[in-house]
Amino acid sequence: MGRIRVLSDQVANQIAAGEVVDRPASVVKELLENALDAGATRIRMEVEGGGRKLIRIADDGCGMSRDDALLAFERHATSKIRSSDDLLQIATLGFRGEALPSIASISRLELTTLPADQPTGTRVEIAGGKVLSVEDVGGPPGTTITVRDLFFNTPARRKFLRAETTEMAHVTALVTHYALAHPEMHFELHSATHALLTAPPVREATERIYQIFGRDTLDQLVPLAAERRFEHAGLPEPPPWRRDEDYRPPDPGYLRVSGFVSKPALQKLNRNSIYVFVNQRLIRDRLILHAVTEAYRNIIPPTSFPVLLLFLEMPPHEVDVNVHPAKTEVRFRQQSLVHDFVRESIRATLMKARPAASFVEALTATPRAASSLVPAAGEPEMPGSDPVAQPEEAAPFALSAPVPRPEEVRLPFSGSSMVAEAAVEIQPAGPVPSPASSGANGHACSQQILPEGAEGAPSLASLASLKPLGQLRESFILAVNDEGLWIVDQHVAHERVLFEKILRERKVERVNRQRLLMPMLIDLLPQQMAIFATLAEELERNGCEAEPFGPHTIAIKAAPAGLAGTELERMIFEVLEQPGSDSQSENLETARTRIAASIACHAAIKVNMPLDPARMEWLLAELARTEHPMSCPHGRPIALRYSWKEIQRAFQRI
Amino acid sequence: MPAGVEQEKAVSGAAMEIAVSRHDLLRELTATQSVVERKTTIPILSNFLLEADGDRIAITATDLDQSIRTSCAAKVKKPGSCTIPARKLYDYIRLLGDGDISIKLLENHWVQIRAGRSNTRMVGMARANFPQVPEFPESSVTRIPVASLRTLIARTIFAISNEESRYTLNGALLILKAESLAMVATDGHRLAHIEKAGESFPGINGEKKVLIPRKALQELQSLLADTDADSLDFADDDSTLFFRVGHRVLTSRRLTGQFPNYEAVMPRDNNKFVIVRSQDLFASIQRVAQFADERSGAIKMRIEQNELKVSSSSAEAGESEDTIETPYSSDPLVVGFNSAYLIDFLKAIGNEGEVRLEFKDAQSAGQVRPEDASDDYKYRYIIMPMRI
Repeated sequence: MGRIRVLSDQVANQIAAGEVVDRPASVVKELLENALDAGATRIRMEVEGGGRKLIRIADDGCGMSRDDALLAFERHATSKIRSSDDLLQIATLGFRGEALPSIASISRLELTTLPADQPTGTRVEIAGGKVLSVEDVGGPPGTTITVRDLFFNTPARRKFLRAETTEMAHVTALVTHYALAHPEMHFELHSATHALLTAPPVREATERIYQIFGRDTLDQLVPLAAERRFEHAGLPEPPPWRRDEDYRPPDPGYLRVSGFVSKPALQKLNRNSIYVFVNQRLIRDRLILHAVTEAYRNIIPPTSFPVLLLFLEMPPHEVDVNVHPAKTEVRFRQQSLVHDFVRESIRATLMKARPAASFVEALTATPRAASSLVPAAGEPEMPGSDPVAQPEEAAPFALSAPVPRPEEVRLPFSGSSMVAEAAVEIQPAGPVPSPASSGANGHACSQQILPEGAEGAPSLASLASLKPLGQLRESFILAVNDEGLWIVDQHVAHERVLFEKILRERKVERVNRQRLLMPMLIDLLPQQMAIFATLAEELERNGCEAEPFGPHTIAIKAAPAGLAGTELERMIFEVLEQPGSDSQSENLETARTRIAASIACHAAIKVNMPLDPARMEWLLAELARTEHPMSCPHGRPIALRYSWKEIQRAFQRI
Repeated sequence: MPAGVEQEKAVSGAAMEIAVSRHDLLRELTATQSVVERKTTIPILSNFLLEADGDRIAITATDLDQSIRTSCAAKVKKPGSCTIPARKLYDYIRLLGDGDISIKLLENHWVQIRAGRSNTRMVGMARANFPQVPEFPESSVTRIPVASLRTLIARTIFAISNEESRYTLNGALLILKAESLAMVATDGHRLAHIEKAGESFPGINGEKKVLIPRKALQELQSLLADTDADSLDFADDDSTLFFRVGHRVLTSRRLTGQFPNYEAVMPRDNNKFVIVRSQDLFASIQRVAQFADERSGAIKMRIEQNELKVSSSSAEAGESEDTIETPYSSDPLVVGFNSAYLIDFLKAIGNEGEVRLEFKDAQSAGQVRPEDASDDYKYRYIIMPMRI
């Protein structure tokens, strides 16, 4: 008897389940995507015991007939594609036909479905992949799937589950993302005792963000929208002689991006707050993440990450989602085009918005290890998250990496413009939710419509109108205009001005350089010598003429104008610093900006340097003309504002 | 404990008491007060030390790096010493009318100052806390003509580096030879060198080089401006430089370290030159520099057939050009400079007479010097070009 056997379907499904379903959140994801694909407008989810005990998801989608309902549990049975050609045109979230049988094989599942146009629906009960019963039922149209005792027959998987709260956090995060991607739909997520998320349909993503994260996060975001036509790079077209009579070249379609990008003031310590949706599918794609990092280069510190909600739309044939069963990875047909488009769109948006950071926000806006997926700001709008009222129930919101409460360093008059963390205190109008009323209250909260921006969005566009008053400890320029009082860090402001100027001059090879009377000798370590060898040419083009002078010494013969002595030496050392662990990937462009940033930093006006009024005016005017006046090349904020409103409020005038 | 003993004496030795002319006192305080640290972290250093003995009162101020000690005639009723907050005393004396002022030390370091109908008390600090100021050594003293040193300082001090960390460039090098006196200063981009021949320093064999800190030069400059004496006494020891101008003594801590080898950078074959009037050049540069790059102040000098063209351009401000007629027939040459460096030089020579600009090419150092053969001073100013 041969030793090789074909596995039974049930075992095969359990194996497949390992790929598709690795934790309760993936079950929710699969079922949620099914609901969305079914055209649901209202989705209600219940999750108990971190999803292990119960996951129930009810939608008002198209439903299934009896036959379909049974067929759905066969492996590779799907309504979403028919042939392999359809794989090129996937317009639905799911398509592999693996999810339902996989889930069914590792849980006790109950499916109730009723198509809108039929009087009776179907109820199917399955346990561990075996159909237990099929019967007719009545009820509202749509589909309800109840998954109980997940992983009851796969002890290995069960063993690797994390704490209930962690799993719950993942589910919450996931649902939040889908709610963000579909503002036109109604989402509800309930735990055993209370509502975690209630989001009635709204018109725009802005309002959905407000519903979920609250005003404060929304204030930190700048809307983004851009589109471009796909170019037909390399798409095979049939040659003219083989075209049909009525051949029309395929429509290349548009690449669109919309969403929200954070102002530089909002920084996170990891990438978990970057949400990217491609054709409404949540993905984590390295290409897009890289584009985002590039866009924020020299705007926020290299160790910080922005908060982003990006919705990319493109014709289905431009993107391959069939890379991994979990479908969080995608491949773009025109990678560099998508990459550059995303990068440029974000840059242009930031450049145009010129967001100004409020002083009060900057105080608490230290970058932090954000919760895995839900920004901390989500708390206030999620009923029941009040830690005082329901400490143990609030646990899911602490998520995998609990957000440390910020120290209470704030001005006493911070009012409601405080940033996220303080938001718990600023419940929207309405009673503080008590455990009993949390569900209803949540509903009430979410009913709030987005308030109109009472105060114009703070923008650095008005920098040009600033009148300097003087200096604070010869380090910060105080200036006023109609918008309020501004505090400008003179060093980083000048740094930004110089940085952009150096890059401009470098582009046209017009860098002013001062020759030195006596060459300046700098001793280097061997690895610095090695880096010098690679950067010497770029340094030279930036005005720093240096050549090796013995085995571990370089002689500098000319320096960029405005940089002399120790500052020159420090600049050289900074540039020759091992550029991090990913040094290999430092391309010329990156090296160029790094050198420019370094020169700018060392040539700029320092703190503790008195400036006369004319010079301050000059600096502010120059700053206003820069492309990114909000942060220095290393990512620190340049100008902060006390708005007129904040000042009035602080003095209790309003 | 000498300090304790001295303090004992100050308390027990009864109060110092003097009468001094307001005019004399103010003159000496003015000469001294610039040494007093404004932002000192050591409180005693913001005080003057007053010491009355015989028929004079001595005034001392120090910031530990340098000190000035001076004196004026006074009627000493009770000899003794005290310290008084420098800034307050100076401002107060300035506001008094002319006449005699009496200063009396009371208990607990209180000092009473009376003048006419004004009566003031201020509190000083224990005299014993005032740091010891080095005494002028009477051996190996060199007499230097005041006028020569004044000129030397004025024509080099502006080229001293502002950068505190490159401390060997934070001063000017004084070179004493048996028959000449020279001074040189540089900041790494430009260098000013001036030599005065026809002197006589009998005590000097060979060559004596002294690096004088900029701050000491500034003090010295004001002391030299305010004296009728023809010469000053200079002396030094291992740690300190001493300058005695009239009855005032300036001491300064020595700058240690190797001054760069300036002789190596002096250009020797700058064979292209033009001669222009200082005021023409100064005016042209000032005009053109308005349109130079803000950071580098870069201007271009173009010499061609019988003219010198000064020009600048920047993306922000625009561009500008001035032409100065001057005989020139060699090959044309364009070279860039920091306009501020040239303006410094032209100001130092008082914007008078003619200057000779000598070049080799666009990469090599340019040399500028006054075109005045009659002068005893040999003054040279070397500037490195900018590539624009």
